[in-house]
Amino acid sequence: MTPAPDSDQSPVNRARFDQQSADQQQNSDSGPFRKSIFHDSGFRWWHEVAVFVLLVLVLMVAQELVPGFLNPRSQLLLSRHVWEMALISLGMMLIIITAGIDLSVGSTMGLCAVAFGVSFEMTSSILLSCLFCVLTGFGCGALNGALISRWRLHPLIVTLATYAAYRGIAEGWSQGHSWSGFGASFSQLSRGRLLGIPYPGLTFFALTVIAAIVLWKTPAGKHLSAMGYNEKAARFSGIRVDLNRFLLFCISGTLSGLAAVFYVARFDTAKADAGEGFELDAITAVVAGGTSIFGGRGNVIGTILGLLLIHETRQFVGRYWGIEELKSIFVGGLLISFVLIYQFLRPSGQRV
Amino acid sequence: MSQLPLRGWSRLLARRDIGILLLIAVTTAVVGFMDSRFISLDVWLGIFIRSAPTMIVACGVMAVILTGEIDISAGSLMALLAAVMGLLISQSKAALSLWIGIPAVLALGTAIGTGTGLLVSYGRVPSLVATLGLMTALRGLTTIVMGGKNIDGLPPALQDAAKRGWFGVPVSVWVASLVVLMTSLLFYRMPLGRRIYAAGSSPASARAAGLHIQRIQVFTFAWAGFLTAVATLVDVPRLPWIESGIGSDLELLVITCVVVGGVSISGGRGDLSSVLAAVVLMTMIRPVLTFLDVGEMGEKWTRAIQGVFILLAVIADQISIRFLWRKSAKVRR
Amino acid sequence: MEAGSHSNRPLIEIRGICKSYTGVVALSDVSLSLMPGEVHALCGENGAGKSTLIKLLAGTVRPDSGSISCLNESLSHEVLLSGSVKAAEDAGIAVMHQESTAFPDLNAVDNIYVGRELTVGYGLLLNRSEMRRRTHELLHRLGEHFSIDRPLRELSLAQRQMVALARALSLKCRLLIMDEPTASLSMRETQRLMLLVRQLRSDGICVLYVSHRLEEVFELSDRITVLRDGRLVSTRPTTEVTRTSLIHEMVGRDLETLHGVSKSESITAGADSHTGLAAGRATGTAIELTGLTRIGVFEDISLSVRAGEIVGLSGLVGAGRSEIARAIFGIDPCDFGSISISGKTLNRWTTGDMINAGVAFVPEDRQHEGLVLQMSVADNILMTNYKHVTRTGFISARAAHQLVDDQVKRFQIRAASSGLMVEFLSGGNQQKVVLGKWLAGRPRVLILDEPTRGVDVGAKHQIHELIEQLAGEGLAVLLISSELPELLRLSHRLIVIREGRIAGEFASGNVSQEEILAISLPDAGRSAESRQ
Repeated sequence: MTPAPDSDQSPVNRARFDQQSADQQQNSDSGPFRKSIFHDSGFRWWHEVAVFVLLVLVLMVAQELVPGFLNPRSQLLLSRHVWEMALISLGMMLIIITAGIDLSVGSTMGLCAVAFGVSFEMTSSILLSCLFCVLTGFGCGALNGALISRWRLHPLIVTLATYAAYRGIAEGWSQGHSWSGFGASFSQLSRGRLLGIPYPGLTFFALTVIAAIVLWKTPAGKHLSAMGYNEKAARFSGIRVDLNRFLLFCISGTLSGLAAVFYVARFDTAKADAGEGFELDAITAVVAGGTSIFGGRGNVIGTILGLLLIHETRQFVGRYWGIEELKSIFVGGLLISFVLIYQFLRPSGQRV
Repeated sequence: MSQLPLRGWSRLLARRDIGILLLIAVTTAVVGFMDSRFISLDVWLGIFIRSAPTMIVACGVMAVILTGEIDISAGSLMALLAAVMGLLISQSKAALSLWIGIPAVLALGTAIGTGTGLLVSYGRVPSLVATLGLMTALRGLTTIVMGGKNIDGLPPALQDAAKRGWFGVPVSVWVASLVVLMTSLLFYRMPLGRRIYAAGSSPASARAAGLHIQRIQVFTFAWAGFLTAVATLVDVPRLPWIESGIGSDLELLVITCVVVGGVSISGGRGDLSSVLAAVVLMTMIRPVLTFLDVGEMGEKWTRAIQGVFILLAVIADQISIRFLWRKSAKVRR
Repeated sequence: MEAGSHSNRPLIEIRGICKSYTGVVALSDVSLSLMPGEVHALCGENGAGKSTLIKLLAGTVRPDSGSISCLNESLSHEVLLSGSVKAAEDAGIAVMHQESTAFPDLNAVDNIYVGRELTVGYGLLLNRSEMRRRTHELLHRLGEHFSIDRPLRELSLAQRQMVALARALSLKCRLLIMDEPTASLSMRETQRLMLLVRQLRSDGICVLYVSHRLEEVFELSDRITVLRDGRLVSTRPTTEVTRTSLIHEMVGRDLETLHGVSKSESITAGADSHTGLAAGRATGTAIELTGLTRIGVFEDISLSVRAGEIVGLSGLVGAGRSEIARAIFGIDPCDFGSISISGKTLNRWTTGDMINAGVAFVPEDRQHEGLVLQMSVADNILMTNYKHVTRTGFISARAAHQLVDDQVKRFQIRAASSGLMVEFLSGGNQQKVVLGKWLAGRPRVLILDEPTRGVDVGAKHQIHELIEQLAGEGLAVLLISSELPELLRLSHRLIVIREGRIAGEFASGNVSQEEILAISLPDAGRSAESRQ
């Protein structure tokens, strides 16, 4: 199927692999398996523990330097900024687990916001507009997924193309126009609370629980992991790799649509620039949360911790130094250092 | 004996650069027919001036992509370099600092490129992640370096060169020609260039042939950083002042051109001439929209058209590869 | 003999070299000397250790013990090779690989010269005209006239092979190792290649010629070395060897001793499997392939396996056996043909269809295709069996544990816990995990592709017993193996694949290893044709 010559087939690779397995043999003289600090104990949460410790550290430092940083009310107030990104991260996590990537999420939000505005102008019905907005997101994701799974194109290049295309369509369609005045009841969607938690937060937690159940309690979760670790073996085990990949991008697109609804509600403005730069924040949160950028490993708890870490770091940097731009330096730096650390910490066999 | 599916004319037409040039020619003819002012020296000089920085950066990013990696930090890097250039040489003692400022900007670009290369090759950070992180970090850094103010008052000599240049052609076009010449020399006439292609074509075979893939990667990233600095030096002084938004979406435009130019994203395949043709094609979009009199409204679609172009280019590649593959499989026996 | 005219000191001296991979011995105590100006043929079955020997010479693999030394340039004293690619290249050892290590996107010139380009101007610029001239010269010498500007991917396999050969020649080598150089060449090209080898010999270059085509071996070589099971069987002048004696030596396998063992075993095993076969006959054909074709890979494969029957698929590496198995399982698409399983006929099928129909497939490359190395034993076993352990869509931890424990016990998988990563298991245990993964679902048809490759002796024996036991239980087994004794011992019927087609079918009782090997060799068909 693959037109390119299979690099695994080359004698050199074989030779290197042989070398490796020979080394393995030397280490395994003591028993049927090799000892490893990471897998001997069977404890697989080191990454989550590390992120948690880091998070606590950040919070402690922040509380020390910024009085009242940990105040629950201000924390909840500031949490408004995080929910849309959180929703997107959820879809991004699933895609990265399968060793894919989706760069188009932010642009999808922009297109969805414009779709919302246009349909509100036409129907002046909030409900229909929301529906249309989410459907647009679904369509965007489905197009990504179809291109990637049907043509076996690289997710990176497809979503890079749609990153430009969706934002471009949003700009072209809206012509710089922005829509607002959707009414107080609609903005209540982002401000209103149940049990002290804003509605977007509730949505996020509900979806997170579903994702956690799917990942841990259904075969689908294991299938996704298998796809990420070794797509070939997954195909050989009868897992419908292409279908799964398509569905994941549909989910990611739909979540972007949902995030766009909350975004529009929060600002009471629908504009083509909605969600700009969200793709980077989402990827950083997911990667910081211990999901391997090479696929396979990843879980919901890590992603929540990663989100919190990114969010709190940004809040702290913003409030302490008062410089907006410092945030992006921190986010970019965090992303690179997490991957770098992960590369050096993981057991040698997994290196790509 | 040979099973090349295409021969003669059809083979010529299948070449990416010829195809793009034809597309350019047809577009020019159609737009020129509707508005004869389009076929004039001024319009085309304008297109070349606008495509010059893209061409320079594309020469660097193409080298990175040829090794099978990707660099999406070019735009942010350009913004940072512009800011640094502004700080170094726009103040009063321009005459002296011009000779320090220019090498400093070039050195900074090369250094950041080398750093990225080291992260990717020896640090084993996937190039997408490394340059994605860098993209944001550099953008933030730029704003801090500039302190929230726009920088103006670049030395007149630099601005003159950028605007009027020699023989009425801005310096950026001259430098772009020089860079293209150097890059084609590198790719086609120097051992290193051939090794860049080899490393991307089949890393395993490259290792077997004794090539140091990691060093090659560091070089390509450094080269991309250096060329971004060159593009900054010749293009930014054209602007009335330096602001932090410089180079936004440049990385996307450059990657679009490289991909539309037929460079395989998995490395090893692609011609410089096709990429250059693609740069011209992509730069044409905006003037063409202007001339078609779709006005402000049409220009907003530029980005969408870019994205669609990338998609079409990859899908076309995929189809042609499958076609070739089936053909060769049939004849093998 | 021409070798005498150059020097009596060997060019390369291999002394007592040993190499093993994960406990499996690939080469043990092999000593060999290669003279300048001789064509030295290396013969042996699949897995006899030929490719390991080549890798050792090329420096891509280091020996566990023993040494390889080489005469220096002036032929005055010996230099020990340090076991790196660089050292081997410096010593003048060039390899023309079977699966060519080439750059598909580069043209012939670059493929030949990349890494050691000819340059002008202080090494800065390529000396393109000189490189092109020499490439033309080399290819001309090989009798090829294709355009050297085309990327390799556009060339035919034979032309690519010629480029690989040209690269080896351009190295100014003293030892040229040719690994199956004629595998993809036509008759005429083969003739030309042989002429060239003779020419090289008269230039004083030593050629180590590895080929399954015995006719070529006899026509070209001065001496023949036979390897079997990683051991050196003999090195003799070609004049003292006959085709039959050579095949006998390649197959040999201590016919007396091993035969005795397998006889006594086969009595019990045979009894088992015969009852199994009887039961199988009652239930009829389990799987039937009709005219399965994948263009350019295999053609018109029709065969059937009854329940309880073990059908062996024999053939040389690259004959298309694994590709057939992959196509049956829906991994690779088929161009023509159909499969019927238990009476249901399918014209198009996916891997999922096959699994649902009760087909299981243990692939050749268990590390990349059979297992997800980074996942645990339990996850790997469950991968294909979730439908047995889910209750209303959710995994029942109890049922999953039960299923995994059953498989671990049944196959005696030695792992500290079922949560251990498969990566850290030995080869044999990994293979048992693959078997457990597929057999937990109680399939009706089992396809095994090299099930005992890279597995130690003990586990091998267990796997053999298991296969027989499974067939006794009424499973239809399609067994692919490169080890003829294994095939002969286990299978009821043997089908030989040669160059993508069925070359013959035997009942395993009345066929010898020699006969099968003779019909597997690619020139077997050709000499038969020429006789007709």
